[in-house]
Amino acid sequence: MSSETNKILTTDGIPLEESLKKAERKNKIKAFLLVSPLLLFLIITYIFPIGEMFTRSIDDKMITNMLPNTFKSMEKWDGQDMPEEDVFKNFYIDFKNLVEKKEHGKLAQRLNKEKNGFNTILKKLFRQIQRNKIDENGSFKDQITSIHKRFDNVEYWRAIKRTAPPYTMAKYLKGMDLYLDEKGEISQVAEDRRIHRILWLRTLEVAFFVTIFCFLMGYPIAHLLATLPMKYSNLLMICVLLPFWTSLLVRTASWMILLQQQGIVNDFFVMIGLVADDSRPEMMYNKVGTYVAMTQILLPFMVLPLYSVMKTISPSLMRAGKSLGGTPFVAFWKVYFPLTIPGIGAGCLLVFILAIGYYITPALVGGASGTLISNQIAYHMKTTLDWSFASAMGLMLLTGVLVVYWIYNKLVGVDNIKLG
Amino acid sequence: MKKLTKLFLALSFALSVTTSAFAVVAVSWGGAYTESQKLGYGDPTAKKLGITIDWVDYSGGLSEIKAQKEAGKITWDIIDVFAFDTINGCDEGIFVEFDFDKDFPAAPDGTPASEDFFAPMPSKCAVGNILYSWNYAYNKNNVKGTPKTIKDFFNTKKFPGKRAIYKSALTNLEIALAADGIKPGKGGAKIYEALETEKGVQRAMDKIKALCTDPKGGCVFWSAGAQPPELLMSGEVVMATGWNGRFFNAIVGEGAPLVQVWDGQGLDYEYFALVKGGPNEADAKKALAMMTNTEMLAGSAKYIAYAPYRKSSLDVIKAGEPWYKDGKTEMMPQMPTAPANTKNYFLVDPFFWADNGTELGEKWEAMKAGL
Repeated sequence: MSSETNKILTTDGIPLEESLKKAERKNKIKAFLLVSPLLLFLIITYIFPIGEMFTRSIDDKMITNMLPNTFKSMEKWDGQDMPEEDVFKNFYIDFKNLVEKKEHGKLAQRLNKEKNGFNTILKKLFRQIQRNKIDENGSFKDQITSIHKRFDNVEYWRAIKRTAPPYTMAKYLKGMDLYLDEKGEISQVAEDRRIHRILWLRTLEVAFFVTIFCFLMGYPIAHLLATLPMKYSNLLMICVLLPFWTSLLVRTASWMILLQQQGIVNDFFVMIGLVADDSRPEMMYNKVGTYVAMTQILLPFMVLPLYSVMKTISPSLMRAGKSLGGTPFVAFWKVYFPLTIPGIGAGCLLVFILAIGYYITPALVGGASGTLISNQIAYHMKTTLDWSFASAMGLMLLTGVLVVYWIYNKLVGVDNIKLG
Repeated sequence: MKKLTKLFLALSFALSVTTSAFAVVAVSWGGAYTESQKLGYGDPTAKKLGITIDWVDYSGGLSEIKAQKEAGKITWDIIDVFAFDTINGCDEGIFVEFDFDKDFPAAPDGTPASEDFFAPMPSKCAVGNILYSWNYAYNKNNVKGTPKTIKDFFNTKKFPGKRAIYKSALTNLEIALAADGIKPGKGGAKIYEALETEKGVQRAMDKIKALCTDPKGGCVFWSAGAQPPELLMSGEVVMATGWNGRFFNAIVGEGAPLVQVWDGQGLDYEYFALVKGGPNEADAKKALAMMTNTEMLAGSAKYIAYAPYRKSSLDVIKAGEPWYKDGKTEMMPQMPTAPANTKNYFLVDPFFWADNGTELGEKWEAMKAGL
């Protein structure tokens, strides 16, 4: 009873609380409508493609639908010795179906990615079928294995068996140099084919050091920019931004001209007698070249967030620190540096994330030791056309970046980032 | 989900279409090579047929056309592709299959097209365009003595200095074995026989590794065709493998002090493929037939030292020497197919690479990572 009477009503008789809520909801919807174009944009250009990549990386239905009979008869096969006649017969039936639908080429492509060498032998089988050379009353096992010696190799049949499930994690395993063997256990690929783990580590290493170098070089520059009088700092700002406005390829190519063994820098070293003409140091087509070029290219991404943070720090704070008895270093370390941490966080995160996905520069100046994981992704996109593998590696890279972000959040806190 | 994907991809492609809807769009590698195609047979064909041919650059591979196809909005008609790409593209149903004698004109003397081609096509979807060579060259100002054989390329004792080689395994494994003493045999059959075995692959990898880790040698890996002549001229390397047309243009066109060595060269083919369901398929088919006839193919050799795919085109060049655009350079001795240049050679085997490319690529990268 008492609660009833306590309710405050608006003039049209609705309780005030409800009326307020209604108005608030309206505002909320309005606000949402305002951001909805952005949301839609994000969904279309970001969430949706990532979902696509994910389905692509695990979807293996195509082959499951192509060889239904084969997989059925393979269920009984343990994968140890050569499969029985039954498997060969069903494989022949499935394959002949595909030939009639002109889809055998697709199967060959898919299986060749699983195990190299399938392309040729399936083409041979195709020709035999076209010429009606296979006697459907005879033993399929004998006839198929006599087409090419690879058909007599159990490895190839194991490869087919591995592709049976409609969804697969195989691409992710491959990205870590692992695979599912015939017993269904995860094992390492042969030693002379372990490439991805090396590349992951190298990518992390390069991104890490480039971030460090950018920080070491960017911090003093940003400080100078923030403290110099306007007329000098503007000039300096242009110097920082000029590379920003220059094409990435031009900058990379310029470094090649500067740093190669017969390049300008080496010529200068020889001229001043620093090194002998026949022992010029190698600064290009190796990691040194990658570090130098990438650091220069990514430097503005470090300088700009740092600058925007430093600009807001009042110079009187340092003076106060000093007047309270601190040496310049102590004042810097205790007062100035902690205030710049949001800028450092933003700069480091930006540079690191950009560096981890970099690929044109390492490809051009990196030489043998300069290939990064993104080059491998491009290779599978363009050359081998194994898009599901490329998607899997892309997602692994994305996960890596998210992990870095998470660690960063734990250590520094995302709220402390300031981009400007 | 699928439909939505198609819609989005189609939208993005529709936005990126810049060429007019009526022109035939031919896609090739750019630079001096596309120039030779455009001037040699592209423009004359367009003029004769009364159509427009737009030349678009790309950097190889089937990924772009595959994406166009998945989006349901194909914008390319004719693509200049590697042999193994025609095989893969044919298998995936991206390209039109040809009936060679029906779709392509006979030679002037009446030889049917299929017999006039230098070699049989690797797939039904390919029509031959040029033959080019993976050979090597050196800068005569930086090398003491004269390298003559493929063995000399690996001989760092006699010819110290860094070498530039192609970034991926393609043709590197072949020349390694040729230099290691395997006689190529007819068209390089013996080399590919050896590469079918684990031992042969290991042997080739070891040979390359020895060259790259040799303190007197060392490797620079090139990826673009313009790099090898440049690396040689700047003195960055003493010898470089590369494409003979690029070396030719540097030597004859720009007067660079380079010398080509043809021993152990890898003869390779380049093809045209016709995109199934391209925007202008009918005109493109007519244009393709004309561009690859005897006269037209010979025309491109006026601008670059690549051999036309038709045997009868060589007769046209012979009759018209000096054929090069400067009016004084004879083209026949510059061709990768000239008798003096094919004493010891191998044919790059597209089937071998279509089959084993992925696995060898992984091994190659692992080897490179360990350098």
